[in-house]
Amino acid sequence: MDPLIEVRDLTKTYSAGAARSWALRGVSLSMARGEFAAIMGRSGSGKSTFMNIVGCLARQSSGVYRLDGIDVSRLSRDELAAIRNTKIGFVFQSFNLLPRTSAIENVELPLLYNRTVGSTSRLVRARQALAMVGLEGLEGRHPNELSGGQQQRVAIARSLVNSPEMILADEPTGALDTRNGVELMAIFQELNRRQGITILLVTHDPDIAAFARRVIRFRDGLVVDDETIRRPRDAHEALAETMPAAGVPAGADGGSR
Amino acid sequence: MRSMAPPVRMAIRALRANSVRSGLTILGVVIGVAAVIATVAVGSGARDRIQKQIASIGSNLIVVLPGSLTASGIRLGTGNALSLTEDDARALAAECPSVALAAPVVRQAQQVVAGVSNWATGIVGTTPDFLAVRDLEVARGAAFTWQDVDGAAKVALLGETVVRNLFPAGGAVGQSVRIRNVPFIVVGVLAPKGQSPSGQDQDDVILIPISTAKKKVLGSSLASAGAVGSIMTQARSAAVIKTAQEEMRSLLRQRHHLQTPQEDDFTIRNLEDVFNAQESSARVMAMLLAAIASVSLLVGGIGIMNVMLVSVTERTREIGLRLAVGARTRDILLQFLAEAVVLASAGGLLGVVAGLAGAAIISRIAGWSIVLSGPAILLAFFFSGMVGVFFGFYPAQKAALLDPIEALHYE
Repeated sequence: MDPLIEVRDLTKTYSAGAARSWALRGVSLSMARGEFAAIMGRSGSGKSTFMNIVGCLARQSSGVYRLDGIDVSRLSRDELAAIRNTKIGFVFQSFNLLPRTSAIENVELPLLYNRTVGSTSRLVRARQALAMVGLEGLEGRHPNELSGGQQQRVAIARSLVNSPEMILADEPTGALDTRNGVELMAIFQELNRRQGITILLVTHDPDIAAFARRVIRFRDGLVVDDETIRRPRDAHEALAETMPAAGVPAGADGGSR
Repeated sequence: MRSMAPPVRMAIRALRANSVRSGLTILGVVIGVAAVIATVAVGSGARDRIQKQIASIGSNLIVVLPGSLTASGIRLGTGNALSLTEDDARALAAECPSVALAAPVVRQAQQVVAGVSNWATGIVGTTPDFLAVRDLEVARGAAFTWQDVDGAAKVALLGETVVRNLFPAGGAVGQSVRIRNVPFIVVGVLAPKGQSPSGQDQDDVILIPISTAKKKVLGSSLASAGAVGSIMTQARSAAVIKTAQEEMRSLLRQRHHLQTPQEDDFTIRNLEDVFNAQESSARVMAMLLAAIASVSLLVGGIGIMNVMLVSVTERTREIGLRLAVGARTRDILLQFLAEAVVLASAGGLLGVVAGLAGAAIISRIAGWSIVLSGPAILLAFFFSGMVGVFFGFYPAQKAALLDPIEALHYE
């Protein structure tokens, strides 16, 4: 079976006037379905650029990127939009929820751009996605009525709602405290284990990267280290050990689908 | 329908989030559409009224007046006020093929007395043809006849206003009225006609035979020459009014022995000429209002474009997010276009309401009649929507073509 992500000699340059800067200098790697990988690196290492290209939000300058066997560099703007819509779920550092819009409507958003989903199944799927991240009962809340951790879980529900092949998370715990960050990792681990969703997250926090099964390190636009972790930390255990006061979030341990 | 509804719902939600700004933005469109609606309502009301009044004066009426009535320049014709005669009237009716009837008219204001009542009114001396030319009808009694004209009978036809003032108790027919101390028998009462286009009460009149008028009522100057104050003629149809005017002009020039370089010593006017002036001033007014309307629609459209540009900038991150989760160029374009169109259409709707209210107020205060035109209202509403499309397109396109990453990281 093809790997889900396959990149070869990927480069990305930005030209500002005469000067030319390299964000990626030739990255080659592949990811199979069901992997849980963390990308680490300092700012300017090219990790965000790599994520943008993998997420079909930007195009490489040279090299090959195959997603699910498709050479996406040949696709049009709208075809890329369709791939982002159905194959990829995004989670951002700053949540990026629509203000003055209820949780369930935020989760429904990707489905509005999916022609194959009708309005009734839209609601059903959005409810299911919210339940998966333990937010049932909060469907009508607006983002400003939710905690940071809850907001990020709404964002995860939004990334899940189209049943994507993979979730791309760019510093998802960056705006959260440690506890909420670990809870988020618990949700990711559940999704990865129970539903086989491929997860690729960018982080600069080694404690967060420790929950992944593979850690890829970027420096100066190149992959300098690609390590498989045999025994990653378990987020549930981490929660139970270090923070016994609070339990595991309700929905996180029972992906109810 | 399902693919259309979400953009409109989203648009309404986005606009309500900034309701004050949205309200101020559409003011231009509101004023523009309201001006269009009020203009059309008042304008077509005025046209309607003028047409009704023209019809009330008499159909296909052509008036021949002595002397020159041209306002610009000094004309020698003014001294020739007695240039028309009863013979002219007879000749016009007999010799001009396009002229159906011609009634000579002499007029004078007189105090009229009946019993203890008295009333100042216009005395019109004419022939029975006058009734047909002016579309007058006799409500009670009968008109005077040609024999009355030949015999200079002292008979009178009273207008409704005169009857009301001289015979408040009713029963005018058969009674006697005194005009310049000459007793007249009232033979009939005219059916009411209402106001003329110039605002005169057309029912404030007494018709008497022209011969009687000259002998008994009018001053000596008119009585002597067989001259008349004017001749009212009726063309055979609306189509031949111009032809009839030409025929009358050449006949009268011939009868008055006018050589080529000499100017006419009479003026021929049809009512259309008279009221074209009124209508053209109404048209100028309408064009002025239309100009205001289009300018304010333009300004309103620019306002919408401005606010949409601000909105696109404010919501750059939202657009980035939508693009990231799979919105196509068209989806974003449609979303912002829908906002602009909803904004403009809301303005259009409010404008229609405001315009109708304005027209109603104008008609109440100025006493003008208004005519509400369904197509005009639909057109104005449609046009406001088009303003939204036109001025919303650039901001919407700007939004749709944003780079997803730049938009997501926009601060």
